[in-house]
Order: sequence, then C-alpha cells, then structure tokens
Amino acid sequence: MDNNLGKIADVLLETGALLMAAGANTGRIRVTINRIAHSLGYQVELLITHRALMLSVIDDEGEFYTSKLKRTPPHGVNFKILSGISRMSWSVQDEDWNLDQINAELARLKSLPHYPRYLILLLVALSGASFCRLFGGGWIEMATAFVATFAGLFVRQEAIKKNFNTYICAVMAAITASLISGLAVKFGIGDHPEHAFATSVLFLIPGVPLINSFTDIIDGNISTGIVRGTNGLIIAFCIALGLLAAMVIFNI
Amino acid sequence: MEVLLLLEKGLWAGFAALGFAILFNVPVRTLFAIWCLGAIGGLLKFSFLEFDVNIIIASFIGASAIGVLSIPLAHKIHSPPLIFSIPAVIPMVPGAFAYKMMLGMMKIASHTTESGMDQVLVDTFQFGIKAMLILLVLSVGVAVPMLLTRKESAKRIRIKL
Repeated sequence: MDNNLGKIADVLLETGALLMAAGANTGRIRVTINRIAHSLGYQVELLITHRALMLSVIDDEGEFYTSKLKRTPPHGVNFKILSGISRMSWSVQDEDWNLDQINAELARLKSLPHYPRYLILLLVALSGASFCRLFGGGWIEMATAFVATFAGLFVRQEAIKKNFNTYICAVMAAITASLISGLAVKFGIGDHPEHAFATSVLFLIPGVPLINSFTDIIDGNISTGIVRGTNGLIIAFCIALGLLAAMVIFNI
Repeated sequence: MEVLLLLEKGLWAGFAALGFAILFNVPVRTLFAIWCLGAIGGLLKFSFLEFDVNIIIASFIGASAIGVLSIPLAHKIHSPPLIFSIPAVIPMVPGAFAYKMMLGMMKIASHTTESGMDQVLVDTFQFGIKAMLILLVLSVGVAVPMLLTRKESAKRIRIKL
C-alpha cells in the first residue's frame, strides 16, 4: 500500500513539475493534479511554488499517506507539453488509465521535438517585422527589425545552449538585436529607423511570466504571482540594459 | 483607405502572434487558429483605437474577444484555451510603453541638471502605469469566460460559434 502511494506521488509530482516548467499557471497545475489523483482514487494536498512542488497523497480511507517534495526542472515555455498533459488528465478521468499508461504518456510528451531551429528563427524574425509594422514602420524598417530579431534570437539560442544564466542570455540577445537595429538609426536607413530599434528586442518580452503573474494574483495565488512578476520584470530590465548598451555605443 | 490599413494591421498582428506561437512550441494543429485569433484581437484593438477609445479599454476588448473565442476553439481542436489565447494576446503586450518607461528611467538616472526633469518624471510614470494596466487587462480579458462562468475547467463551458 505504502509503496503504491509513493509511486502515485512520483507521477503526480512529475506531472506538476512538467506543467510548471512549461509555463502553466498555478490554478491549472492544482486542477490537473487533483483531477488525476481523484480519478486514481486518492486525495491530495498541494503546495506549489516556482522552483519546487510539495504534495501529500492520502488514500480514500484516510489511513495511509505519503508526502514528497520535487524541484521543478529549468523553466522553458512549451505549450505542446501543456496541451498533452491536459488531454492526458481527461483520458485518465474518462478512460480509467493506470499508472503505467500515465508514465508512458509523460515519457512520450517529454520526447516530443521542438520546431526546426531555422523555422523558429524565420517566424520569430517575421513576428519582429510585424511588430515594427504595427508600430508604424515601413518596409525598410521591417527588414531591419527582421534581421535584428533573427540575429538576436540566434545569439540567445547559442547562449542557452552554452548554459549561461537566463538573464545573461537575454542581455546578450538584446545587445545583439539593438546593435544591429542601432546601425540603422545611426546611418539613418529608412524614414523612422527608431521604430525598428524599439521593436527589434520585442521577441524577448516575457509575455508568459507576466500574464501568468497576473492570472495567479487574480486567482489568489499571490506568492507565485509575485515570483513570476519579479522574474518577468528582471527580464524586462535585461532588455533595457541591452538597449542602453547600444545607445551608449552609438551615442543615439 | 482607413479600413484597408486597419485590415493590414490585423494581418500583421496575426503574424506577430504566430511567431510567438512557434517560439512557445504549440501543437501544429493550433497554428492557424492562433493566427486568426491574433488577427481578430489586433483588428478589434486598432479599430477601437481609431475611434479614440482609451488604449487600455481597447486592449481589454481585444483580449476579451480572444478569451471568449479561445473556448470553442479549445473544444474543436482539443487543446486548453490558453494555448490559443496567450500567443494571440502577445502582440498587444505594451512593448512600446515599457520601452519608453525604461528610456525615461535611464534619463532620470543620467540627468545632472534640474531643468526639464518634471516632464521626464511625469512621462516615465505615465508610461509605466499604462504598461502595467494594459498587462492587467490582458490577463483579465483572457480569463473573462472562466471568471464569468465560474467553472473550474473550460471543458464545462459551452460557447457556440
């Protein structure tokens, strides 16, 4: 009995840790873990923080319980995992999946590939150009924003691969992007090169942490909300630091 | 002419959303829906801005539309609503205001004389407040269907397209 409780706790913690790392808000993590646990016939109590999860699994009679703690893996937004785990939790409830099936599905979800690297680079660069258009830039500014975003994201991916600190990665990417778009401002390429300068770093905006921060706070999970908000704020400062560096270097 | 320009901006808002969708590694089957949602949200926001509606309210309307539409899409394409709504609202994230606020803060930090400081202070504060409020209404807007129906899961909400 005790052994089984331990296994259940492991599976639930693994699910929760994957969700937290992939960018789910706190309410979603709690609802999903509760749904899976109830379908398997157990009660759970949860403590959710940004870097670790703690839960107690209690069997139906309330006679046996196990508590476990798990650190979350490094955070990286991955909606394929969110979507997959959401579908899995409904299958557990509606089709009575057992532990082995859940473990197999979690392993499959973790092994799902990302999009090809150059497709990511191209489309994110396109989205940088789109931002530039939305801010009122013309074709030339859009091209500048495209190139700057492409180079910035490339540098960020390389920096992440070399295991730099997350914030340092953001600073490096922001400096690269703003140096390239700053060249356009310095030499007056296009009518409003400053639009390209302002939008070339927008691919770095911490949209998921900031939106999740407010979602958590509205939901009453204020402590995780503040942690996410602080994280997002520091990334925003990193972006500003990169812009500042380019402005000092080019004196613009 | 105005209408054409608006439509074009909606188009670009869709592409901005698409780039972030790819960056967030969404399932392939949701890509087209995310482009459409981004375009609809952007189109609504820019249309209301055209009628001199406050940018905070315009953002809220755009985000609420995205939030409501993401529910039937979630049923149809079998993914949680936030997969659609978060990339779609990213083009509305107040990047310009945050950027101007940062510029203002740098000015405050590097300013040596008193003259002209009042204006810089007021501007910086204003941009900062706008950026924060827009972020707040974006997350409230996206959550509108959940907040109004008071359901724990989007699966229990019925919104017919």
